[in-house]
Amino acid sequence: MSADATKELRFPREVYAGTAVDEAVKVWGKFADFELSETEDHWVVKVTPKHEGAARQIIGEFGNYVLGLTVDRGGVDGGEA
Amino acid sequence: MKPISLVQIKPKAGTQAFFRWRQIGDDAILVTNLEGNWLILTEDEFTAYARGEVAPDSDLHGRLDEKNFLRASYDVQAASERVKARRYFVHGGPLLHVMVVTLRCNETCVYCHASRANMDAVHTDMTPEIARKAVDVALSSTNGFVTIEFQGGEPLVNFPVVKEIIEYATERNKEIKKRLEFTMVSNFALLTEEKLQYLLDNKVQLCTSIDGPEEVHNAQRKLPQTHNAYQAAARWIKRVNEAYIERGLDPSLYHVEALLTTTKKTLDYHEEVVDTYVKLGCNTIFLRPIDPFGFAERARLRLEYPRSKYLEFYRKSVDYMIELNKQGVQILERYAAIFLTKILRGEDPNFLDNRNPAGAGIGQIAYSYDGNIYSCDEGRMLAATGDETFKIGTVDSAYRQVVGHETVRAMAIATNLDQQPDCVNCAYNPYCGTNAAYNYKAQGSIFGRMRDNNVCAVHKGIQDYLFEKLAENDPETMQIFERWTTIRPREHFVQDPTQSED
Amino acid sequence: MSADQQTSIPDLPEALASANLGERSVSLNIDAELYPLQAVYGAAYIFIDRCYVFVDRPEAGKFRVTLAAKEGVEEVEALRSLVGEFANELISCAWRHQVTQDNRVAVETVTVQAIAGAMGEPSLDDLADFDFTDEALDDPLGIAQSWEEKHGRKEPKAEADAEAEGGASA
Repeated sequence: MSADATKELRFPREVYAGTAVDEAVKVWGKFADFELSETEDHWVVKVTPKHEGAARQIIGEFGNYVLGLTVDRGGVDGGEA
Repeated sequence: MKPISLVQIKPKAGTQAFFRWRQIGDDAILVTNLEGNWLILTEDEFTAYARGEVAPDSDLHGRLDEKNFLRASYDVQAASERVKARRYFVHGGPLLHVMVVTLRCNETCVYCHASRANMDAVHTDMTPEIARKAVDVALSSTNGFVTIEFQGGEPLVNFPVVKEIIEYATERNKEIKKRLEFTMVSNFALLTEEKLQYLLDNKVQLCTSIDGPEEVHNAQRKLPQTHNAYQAAARWIKRVNEAYIERGLDPSLYHVEALLTTTKKTLDYHEEVVDTYVKLGCNTIFLRPIDPFGFAERARLRLEYPRSKYLEFYRKSVDYMIELNKQGVQILERYAAIFLTKILRGEDPNFLDNRNPAGAGIGQIAYSYDGNIYSCDEGRMLAATGDETFKIGTVDSAYRQVVGHETVRAMAIATNLDQQPDCVNCAYNPYCGTNAAYNYKAQGSIFGRMRDNNVCAVHKGIQDYLFEKLAENDPETMQIFERWTTIRPREHFVQDPTQSED
Repeated sequence: MSADQQTSIPDLPEALASANLGERSVSLNIDAELYPLQAVYGAAYIFIDRCYVFVDRPEAGKFRVTLAAKEGVEEVEALRSLVGEFANELISCAWRHQVTQDNRVAVETVTVQAIAGAMGEPSLDDLADFDFTDEALDDPLGIAQSWEEKHGRKEPKAEADAEAEGGASA
């Protein structure tokens, strides 16, 4: 896969649960390579899809998956916020 | 209608108790309170009430006081008793158990609600083993009343399993002793005298579908062999009604009822629809709008219509029914009867799609032919299109797991009008309900959005019509409405657990 | 997404929403003082069947939601419809968030009664399966617990469950 297909997603910590990002990366590992890092405000994920033709779909569904898991947990603080 | 202006009225909090309001005419404003008491005020009266300026010795003060609309004399105990009476069903448990004994159907309906299969799809028949397990779950209900409703497809296609359910449930109920009833929704085309006698022997209440006059009915419901679905249904309605009389039953109480599905084509035939029902000896019409379940969505463009058109049709139909009643004809509209029972009697007829919270899982359960269990029949139909969102178990699941499923909890919350934007402020809140499966299908979430929700539009529109009639206060119409809210129990259909029918 | 591909949307202020036709996406800027995060979650979740949804925090006090249509959106008018629908859903979720807080006790009481009424008394077998820890003893059947608080799920579940969870916890 060319580096062109790599996209950096910056998930704000105030919005997305870190555990949701971790879990999503594990689940989506068969469809893309991931490189994780973090800043003070963001979970940073470089996504390189393994199938170029489906790159938009893989990156998009991965983002939805992280959102879904975060919502499932009741938000960043598990609904305690 | 010229809208009233709150800017001019200048409402302020004061002597009022909690109330909601809605303008229903040029000089008619409906106010309702928490427990569902209501009054229709003139604009001047509403202005005085909204400003907290009602003179203590006035007629209006007396009316407001009597209905518990005033803060100083608010009777908390009475309000609490009325709320309790209205919501008696909340902790009752599942009463309606819909059993889809097959997806096979001999008719092809343009809107098919039930996700049908062709007659050779025998794999969509419920097996006797699944049927018995479904009965076991149904009879585990905490509700002392259990109604098993046979649906399909066409339930007569899998008549051996219908018999299996009736006989197994009746036998098991000798020990469990529920107030057990059976109903069947059928197009009647496959009915025979032998099957009819069996169903009558076993006190199965029969219900069919009539979509209007012959031409409209046959255009929407096609029978491949005879090409006349209407004649088939009409013939058997007549025969079943005769059979009730042969068995000594009061024909005014025991007769076949039918359901209408309103499509775009139906809208031009309001008088003909009503006349058809009267001619067939049906005392009730349920003017149901088309819904998006089953295959209906595929045919949406051909069949759908704006809800404003439906409401015009509804008003014209019910106006016509009222006129017929004034001439001595007994015919009532089911939606109107449901709402009027809540409005005029302060009781809830427990119609599961129009109560607060709705009945999904806590009032009804649907059993699919394959043994899967859903929170409601709409959920089952949605599953037939590949969406298992409302699956809450299988016939092998423990009953408590089924009704305690998180989807049931979510639906109980989502259909509680106290958490629903719009509904919390709506004057019709005490009489209304929302349908989580519909909301999910139409708007993407079980909560829905009431402002652009078709079920809400229909409920509001019907209640607008009814309250307009109540504001007119025509004595003859009021008498008819009173009669429509009089529920005469059909005790014959209750199985006697001490008797065996074999 | 480069800024030069952004285009305005008819009838909507550019500061509020912009579209990117190449990406088939539309972004909406949201004032966090008006719309709580739980409402943003609720509305965003409802769109994940149609769109790839990304929620960003461009600056303090703001959210930016980007909806990239999965299919069938080629014109700005379709994107306008998408963002309009989202805005309606968002205001509905925000209001529900408030109403749910106001009426939480009433809603939970009715829900507990409904579920407990439908479930009935537990059998001895049911009781044998319980975890009698201190926490469980507070509510051995789990029925008095609001369902949205109850579970951290092990894997993603059906849409309505999760959507309802997001909305109800709002």
